[in-house]
Amino acid sequence: MRSIAAKAVVPVAVAVTGFVVVCCILLYSFIKGDMLNSAIQREVSLAGIIVKSTRYAMLHDDRESLRNIISNIGEQSEVEHSRIFNHSGLIVYSSDPEEVNQLVDKKNAGCVGCHEKEVPATNLGPMEQARRFANEKGHHVVAITAPIYNEPSCSTAECHFHPANLKVLGTLDIGLSAEPLRATLATLAWRMVVFCLMVLVLTVGGVCALLRRNILLPITNLVAYANAATRGNTDAPPPGGIDEIEMLGQSLQSLALRLEKKDRELEALRGRGGEPVPTRPTPPDTFAD
Amino acid sequence: MTERSDPSGEQPTPSRLDRGPLREEVRREIRRLHQLSNRGLWGLAIFILISLGAQRNFNFLPTFSEGARAVLGAAPPVKLISIALVVYSFSALVLILSRMMGGTETYRGWAHLGYLSGFYFFYYYAEALPDNFWAVFAAGATILSLEYYAIWSYCSEAIRTEKELLGKLED
Ligand code: HEC
Repeated sequence: MRSIAAKAVVPVAVAVTGFVVVCCILLYSFIKGDMLNSAIQREVSLAGIIVKSTRYAMLHDDRESLRNIISNIGEQSEVEHSRIFNHSGLIVYSSDPEEVNQLVDKKNAGCVGCHEKEVPATNLGPMEQARRFANEKGHHVVAITAPIYNEPSCSTAECHFHPANLKVLGTLDIGLSAEPLRATLATLAWRMVVFCLMVLVLTVGGVCALLRRNILLPITNLVAYANAATRGNTDAPPPGGIDEIEMLGQSLQSLALRLEKKDRELEALRGRGGEPVPTRPTPPDTFAD
Repeated sequence: MTERSDPSGEQPTPSRLDRGPLREEVRREIRRLHQLSNRGLWGLAIFILISLGAQRNFNFLPTFSEGARAVLGAAPPVKLISIALVVYSFSALVLILSRMMGGTETYRGWAHLGYLSGFYFFYYYAEALPDNFWAVFAAGATILSLEYYAIWSYCSEAIRTEKELLGKLED
């Protein structure tokens, strides 16, 4: 861990990748929330359309066509369930014929939204109407409970017996499969993982490449040059690359040249003295470090 | 870098007896540096413990009663907490990297531990912890491991110079 590369790469890679991962996770949860909200909005308006389209049949107490509407809706591939409760919690129509005439408790997930307090609420915001769960088949479902309100025409229709003081005549409960949403989110997550990996590779690779090109190679050249100069080989020019290394190489060169000059002077002095001086051996220029 | 004057170089070779306490001091310094670098590990370990609790959505803690929530007020919107988390982790990373360049001997992990637990708490209070747990965890793991790396590389460098000094003293 003493090399420059490790020292420079580790912190940069950790910081950049960590930050990108944090941003990706938060982005993912933002996108997930937004997609879920828009799915719920769509479903609320779908439930409204269904309630509106059953209105005529309800006013005429046409139970046969109501049953048909609900079971046909249930045949649509994305629809996991659709049912209509009456005001006392009895399932009157359902896409699953076995459910019909079952009594549902007010404590159920789709009902507590209104029945949390003693006096039941008559209005729910779109987000409060929605609930998410996995049904008995293991499918993930986003379900909507839409109230069917009492209207003057409901209590005055000649065949009808709804008292006018009742505000909510029943509820429509429709559940759409959340699997397409989950699949989209899963691909999004994979793309983000790939993106994070690419950022990691790019930062590590980029920092390594820059270090190698600008620091490590010039330093290796400088070491080779210094080794050669120690052995007395000062012919080669000092290595270039970056300013600092160039300066270091130049001062090494002038140092070596001065040493050489002093050597020669010493040699000359000794030669005048008549003593034989052993010349310094100059080994071949080896690039070892 | 601890600037430690090299006594053997300045004074005219102190006797073996004088070097005893000096050696002891260098050894103490090495021990201190080891402890300092272990602090980073402790910080990480405590963070992982807190995260284990957060991952179970703090289900061992009592839930907030209506009264407590009324006193504390409404939770901040989740989007705001998330934006604060991004800003916090960005500035924390920039600060750590710049501190690394300077090479100072301080460990800021404890403060970060506090901030990160704060984020866990705010998400928990806003009832959005399961969705955002991994974001806080990734931020904490990054910040604390960088903090650990900074203190560790500083300490191992300082320990190396101290050991060299000890070697010189023992000659
Ligand atoms: C839109 C809100 C809303 C939803 C959703 C809702 N209810 Fe109701 N419910 C009411 C209201 C309001 C009343 C009071 C009667 C009225 O004014 O219409 C009521 C009355 C009742 C009553 C009779 C009065 C009582 O309190 O015992 C029953 C039983 C009942 N609901 C069961 C259910 C069941 C079961 C569900 C779930 C399938 C459900 N409700 C869903 C609003 C709702």
